[in-house]
Amino acid sequence: MTTTVQSQAPTPAPVRSRLSGLRRYLSPEYLPIAGTILTLILMLVIGEVRYGGERGFVSPKLFSNLLQDNAYLLVLAVGMTFVIITGGIDLSVGAVVALVGLVIATLLPMGVPLPLVLIIGVLIGTTFGFLIGVLVEYFDIQPFIASLAAMFLARGLCNVVSVQSLAIKDEGFGALAGWSLKFGEGRDIWKINLSMIIAVLVLIVAYVILHHTRFGRTVYGVGVGDGGNAVQLMGLKAGRTRLWVYVISGTCAGVAGILFAFYTKSGFNLTGIGMELDAIAAVVIGGTLLAGGGGFVLGTGVGVLVYGLIQVLIAREGLDSWWTKVFIGVVLLVFVVLQRAIAVRRRS
Amino acid sequence: MTTPDTQAATPVVEMRGITITFPGVKALDGVDLRLFPGEVHSLMGENGAGKSTLIKALTGVYQIDGGTMTVDGVEHRFSGPDEAQNAGISTVYQEVNLCANLSVAENVMLGHEPRTGPFISWRKMRRQAAENLARLHVDIDPASRLSAHSIAVQQLCAIARATVRDAKVLILDEPTSSLQKAEVDELFQVIRELRDAGVAILFVSHFLDQVYEISDRLTILRNGRLVGEHLAAELPRRDLIGLMIGREGAALDAIERGAQQAFAGEREGVTPTIEAVGLGRHGRIEPFDLAVQPGEIVGLAGLLGSGRTEAVRLLCGADRPEEGTLRLGGEDIRISDPLVGLRNGIAFSSEDRKREGIIGDLTVRENIALAVQTVRGVWRPVPRKELDELVDRYITALDIRPANPNQLVKNLSGGNQQKVLLARWLATAPKLLILDEPTRGIDIGAKTDIQKLVAELAADGMSVVFISSEFEEVLRVSHRIDVLRDRRIVESLTNGPDVDQDTILEAIATKEVA
Repeated sequence: MTTTVQSQAPTPAPVRSRLSGLRRYLSPEYLPIAGTILTLILMLVIGEVRYGGERGFVSPKLFSNLLQDNAYLLVLAVGMTFVIITGGIDLSVGAVVALVGLVIATLLPMGVPLPLVLIIGVLIGTTFGFLIGVLVEYFDIQPFIASLAAMFLARGLCNVVSVQSLAIKDEGFGALAGWSLKFGEGRDIWKINLSMIIAVLVLIVAYVILHHTRFGRTVYGVGVGDGGNAVQLMGLKAGRTRLWVYVISGTCAGVAGILFAFYTKSGFNLTGIGMELDAIAAVVIGGTLLAGGGGFVLGTGVGVLVYGLIQVLIAREGLDSWWTKVFIGVVLLVFVVLQRAIAVRRRS
Repeated sequence: MTTPDTQAATPVVEMRGITITFPGVKALDGVDLRLFPGEVHSLMGENGAGKSTLIKALTGVYQIDGGTMTVDGVEHRFSGPDEAQNAGISTVYQEVNLCANLSVAENVMLGHEPRTGPFISWRKMRRQAAENLARLHVDIDPASRLSAHSIAVQQLCAIARATVRDAKVLILDEPTSSLQKAEVDELFQVIRELRDAGVAILFVSHFLDQVYEISDRLTILRNGRLVGEHLAAELPRRDLIGLMIGREGAALDAIERGAQQAFAGEREGVTPTIEAVGLGRHGRIEPFDLAVQPGEIVGLAGLLGSGRTEAVRLLCGADRPEEGTLRLGGEDIRISDPLVGLRNGIAFSSEDRKREGIIGDLTVRENIALAVQTVRGVWRPVPRKELDELVDRYITALDIRPANPNQLVKNLSGGNQQKVLLARWLATAPKLLILDEPTRGIDIGAKTDIQKLVAELAADGMSVVFISSEFEEVLRVSHRIDVLRDRRIVESLTNGPDVDQDTILEAIATKEVA
């Protein structure tokens, strides 16, 4: 069957419709991500112009700090990207981060070995993700409701563990959190710590999964907006895929919980309230369609940088930190409207 | 041509006594189907006869409740489409069931994509996709998005996907409904190539010409039951239709004669039910004159986009005219919206049944009640008893099946949905009934029913405007035919023995636009 039939006398004119290489990247699907990158560049330019001075604003140190402060958010947003591409949402991740931190802070003083504690931390996230996935896939509950329930459950369990802030004083844990590679000298010193490495690794692995495996492509297929019908009829595993994206998101939340504990060296039951919304914002700013079916996980990386940069600029400007929320709101609004405009244009 | 010889060849697929029950409905009842290698087998039947259900049983989408299914002599019970595909059964579904947001290559190859370890080999995948598309004479960039291409090309991608694996059985469910004539020819060439390579092909289409052009064998279903299996060459078309609708083809002719006799030409001095004088709307329809007398059926004929729908939307108030006047029973009237139209006895059944017609999640009763209730207003609910009588009357009169007022409309076949819509408008007892493509996409039995009904309504004095893309149908039903082209009415023909499809085509092709 692989030989082209040539004996047929009247070969019909071939159906042609080709886009040249460059044109392909100008198609609407790349517009949101182009917007994201443009926003990032614009903000870097603003920063350079206003605070550049003689030492410069754009420097390895800036990116080092951005990644260090937002490593947990990057991991959360990467997991959220999977869920949003399928057209779902996961509201539980912020509460899971808090729960993981508290469990770590409780287990370590009890003498539980550090590696085991970290594994438990990740598995807590995985379990919550699995729970949401099962609710969504097998009980046909809307992702919003299923993950909202999981959010309340996780937040409630936090209060069961402790209603006070618990400091993490474990030496091994402190060593992991404090370890870093240092570069440069004097005031320009910048470093790479464990959180940054983990976050970037998660991003790379997610990229490979989403773009280079059947599972990853199925994630996109499920998000096409027909309830996974097309994917199902193509003989791919739509249901299993939908379950797995929540497991991935939950696992990422578990990892993010550990990174956040590295960052704060404590566990607290009120941590991460609204953190899931920050993650969603970063994903959307990163060019992933909230309606599902399109987006790039690397865009999510850029989205997190934009998010972090807004905070830096606000701080440098000397404004109150709540101005961050205002600006993120504005950027988010612009991006959602942009997505909408593209969707409307495509339909007409 | 392969000669279908039942004795010599062994069927690659043999389904026996297949039964599938949905809640409250026996969708399939003991149906047999045999598919032979190197043969094109058409599955025939009206909408709701069980064709789609049978296909979905064969492809593992539905689980069978009874009967056996063997592929290559091995009994199978598929629990999902992937299992059927593994057994060598590939399917192209009625509507393009691919992922528009993925690339062409992915849509063709995903599920059997070339991989190194767990990772997709993109380059290899694009090349293989291009090769598969080339076999169908399609030359498109495999890396482009599926959504960037026309529906016809997407359909070809779906077929390319189905033929990637060396399928033993290829199922094509209405593959030609969105294709142009030239594309159909191309597709048929591909089908013949596959058939000659020994693939068993199951073909479903509403177009009888196409069925006879491509098929070797026919299996006919009616109401979820097997009517018979015949060689295409041995079953004349008329008999096939008879088997499909379960009655003699003569019924069709009766309407034709009935309609033309009932309205003997124009009657002088009768006030038209509705009269449009110079009615128009910029960019939609040029000013036109149109009069419909009581008991008259006026057909609007013209190509898609010629302004048929735009014209009637002005009559019923769906769009507001920018110029001209509208007279109802001889008096000037302004119809500002469809509700005003409805209150004045003008009912408009739109062409887009799914989106502008039925409400799938409501029951048959609720769908029928909708227009009546709207006319009465929110504060005067129709009493349940009155409503039930009304609904029962129309279910019986229009032969809506299943005859269950509590059935959700989305579970009805297309023809029955259309009947529900008709019932909705008839329930308002309109003076003028506007039907925009009332028979599109429905089977021949329901079509006949609807045409007959329209003729009867007119005989009782109702005025009807009838729009259809099928000139044959317009000719059969109408007393007078207004021909449209380029958003103008270019000709008004009085139907008679000397008017046929060529007359309409000629009017479209040659009439000077004034």
